[in-house]
Amino acid sequence: MNRKRLHFNFIGRSKIWFIISAVVILAGVAGYFIQGGFNFGIDFLGGTLIEVEFEQEIGSGEIREVLGREGYGSSVIQQTDSNKYIIRIKAEEIGKPISTDEKTRILDALDEDIGINPQLMQDRTVNPGFGSILIRNALIAIAISLAGILIYVWIRFEFRFGATAIVTLAHDVLVTLGVYAILGREINTSTIAALLTIIGYSLNDTIVVFDRIRENTPQARKFGYAGVVNNSVNMTLSRSINTSVTTLFPIILLLILGTAALKDFALALTIGIISGTYSSIFFASPILVVWNNKFSKYKK
Amino acid sequence: MRNKKINIIVLAIFVLIIAVSVYYIITEPINLGLDLKGGTQIILKPVESEGSEVTSESLDKAMLIIMDRIDRLGISEPLVTRDISNNIIIQLPGVGDPDHAISVIGKTAQLEFRILLGTLVSRTGQNTEFVEFDPETGSIVYDENSEEVILVDNINSVMPIKTGVLHTDIAAGEIYLMDKDFNPGDFDYTGAETDILDTGMVTGRFEYNRDTGELLLVDADSGSLLGELLIDSRTNAASLVGPVLLTGDKLAKAGAGYDSNGRIIVSLSFKDEGAGIFEDITRNNIGEQLAIVLDEEIKSAPSLGVVITGGDAVIEGINSLDEAKDISLVLQTGALPVNLIIEESSTVGPTLGKDALNKGILAGIIGLVLIIIFMVAYYRGLGLISALGIAVYIAIFWGIMTGIGAALTLPGIAGIILTIGMAVDANVIIFARIREEARKGKSTRIAIGDGFKHALRTIIDANVTTLITAAALYRFGTGPIKGFAVTLALGVIISMAISLLFTRGILFTAAGLPGLASPGFIGVRKKEEQ
Repeated sequence: MNRKRLHFNFIGRSKIWFIISAVVILAGVAGYFIQGGFNFGIDFLGGTLIEVEFEQEIGSGEIREVLGREGYGSSVIQQTDSNKYIIRIKAEEIGKPISTDEKTRILDALDEDIGINPQLMQDRTVNPGFGSILIRNALIAIAISLAGILIYVWIRFEFRFGATAIVTLAHDVLVTLGVYAILGREINTSTIAALLTIIGYSLNDTIVVFDRIRENTPQARKFGYAGVVNNSVNMTLSRSINTSVTTLFPIILLLILGTAALKDFALALTIGIISGTYSSIFFASPILVVWNNKFSKYKK
Repeated sequence: MRNKKINIIVLAIFVLIIAVSVYYIITEPINLGLDLKGGTQIILKPVESEGSEVTSESLDKAMLIIMDRIDRLGISEPLVTRDISNNIIIQLPGVGDPDHAISVIGKTAQLEFRILLGTLVSRTGQNTEFVEFDPETGSIVYDENSEEVILVDNINSVMPIKTGVLHTDIAAGEIYLMDKDFNPGDFDYTGAETDILDTGMVTGRFEYNRDTGELLLVDADSGSLLGELLIDSRTNAASLVGPVLLTGDKLAKAGAGYDSNGRIIVSLSFKDEGAGIFEDITRNNIGEQLAIVLDEEIKSAPSLGVVITGGDAVIEGINSLDEAKDISLVLQTGALPVNLIIEESSTVGPTLGKDALNKGILAGIIGLVLIIIFMVAYYRGLGLISALGIAVYIAIFWGIMTGIGAALTLPGIAGIILTIGMAVDANVIIFARIREEARKGKSTRIAIGDGFKHALRTIIDANVTTLITAAALYRFGTGPIKGFAVTLALGVIISMAISLLFTRGILFTAAGLPGLASPGFIGVRKKEEQ
């Protein structure tokens, strides 16, 4: 086995990495416009979600037919198992969330025509106005945690490390949201929790690399700042990859084995962790070098 | 030598913590969230309305009343809490009929006694039809082709008497109640006499409050309250009632039953003070109809013939005995001091929650096995120590969760899986660093010491930033996000403690043992040391 330590020239190819990031983010932006915006779930837009178990295996066509007859033909129907379906009736399509009576009528119709298990799986109704409060709270939470992180990193490192960390986090959030836009996947409360987790994870990843750069900076006279950053990234490379691999084990298993809600969460985390690992190696560190080249503090 | 002592003390403390955790794990079952054990969660938002302000006191009172109602519905182990935006969050594990429970819990149950001033009808020739009122938009709905909309007195009598005329000023978007002799045909809409107030026949102007859905009749000049337009639940007709004379808070008892004619009723009886007021009302309004209003809906409006002493009354116009029981239940617990709107209600069936829990645990176990295999393959002996660290991590985490009774939720499971990843990460950082030091040619013992020294700062910086995120999530997150924040913070703190104290202690102890201090133990080959 060749045990020679691998050494890559990351910084020298900075342009390529920036282009890759830009292409992925732009693809997300394009996806956003092609799909006509994000697919916000009932958590944000209001509406009703019902998960039912049918007595036999059934196709979504029959369910849609029954719903259409009751006046809810535009509902989103998602299969979760051979005989289990989630039906989403968004409030925006009918003006307000459906009432208890209407819900009962839909369930009765489904029971009569197809036959459902009386034990309800899941049932959820959200008022349209409530979602905007959720979004607002989530945005406040993100803004405050970013501000806190900026200040902490500024104190422990230097301002540019803090600023770069924030830009890197924005990169990862944009990549994840972009994939959601392209896939047209629903964005719900779990997605927001996942985005916040991604922020935490990606930051963790970035800080470890920064920490090594901080430690090696005195060597800038010898290797130049770009050299210091490149060495530091190489030194932490095995750690960055190992950590991502171990964290991804259970998350990918959740993506394969989990229920619908767990899968949603796991998908966002998978994208975010991959993006977070990429960005700490290929995005954050080159930015530090670019910053140093512009406002020379250490020897280029 | 001193280091050795400290190590032993640290390890002893960990053994103690692990023992306590294991004790809790064995004796206390883990508290599962509603999304895992099944149940109903309702989020109620308080709204301001005429005479009811949303204050901390009124919300506390509302929560007590809600608890009382849940109790009377026979639902066990309810949890009623309040969030940062003053929403009331109700969690009910395993309810048979969630929709019924929601309707009873959220009912304002504001009982009012008011004089019925009349009912609105639209007239075309000899035909009259009830006029309807839509509280959502504040509009009055009637047949466009009708000649006029009039207010009539007792609709139960053979010949209701016209007591007023409705005039709608489309240009100004205003509705007026006019004298009974007012004839819209006489009013000049185009000429100089466009101000309706100049006619001298205005009884009052209707004012709509969009937030509360109230359509109030006020004096056009002084703005003082004359009455309110409500829906009569018996006919769906828009009816005008006077100011509130008596409310349900003076009620002593309420019960569901039948009257002597076999009709379903809710019988009411007032306390001393209420009985006196009720007697005065009946004395002062003989010949009038007394509207009994429940949550802005007229339930019944008996004519007052004689003075009623003793403070007993009944509500009629109820469709079923179940409805009567619900009404008497909510009247007995008292009216909510604020109106509550259902913002969100969700019910998870027991099978779905169990499914999610089992799948989450399965993914967690397989994931852990894979992590351990990977760690041992890559870091050898160090990997085994990290496997031990993970086991300790899970024991302490689970122990604290059961010990403090925190609920494990779906996002919580995801949080645990993520923090296991982070706990492993701390080990990876330390091990990678130890190897690096060993490659510089240091002995295993020294490499372990120096590796820790360097890794310490990295781990603290990386985890503090995650804790900042968790704190922001906890403070501003709602519901499930909050649960996630708790598991995240708990996980980060435990994993830091384990990697920086426990793993360190074990490593130093292991390095002190002959045979284990070999470079192979930390996964470094001898020749690399040169």
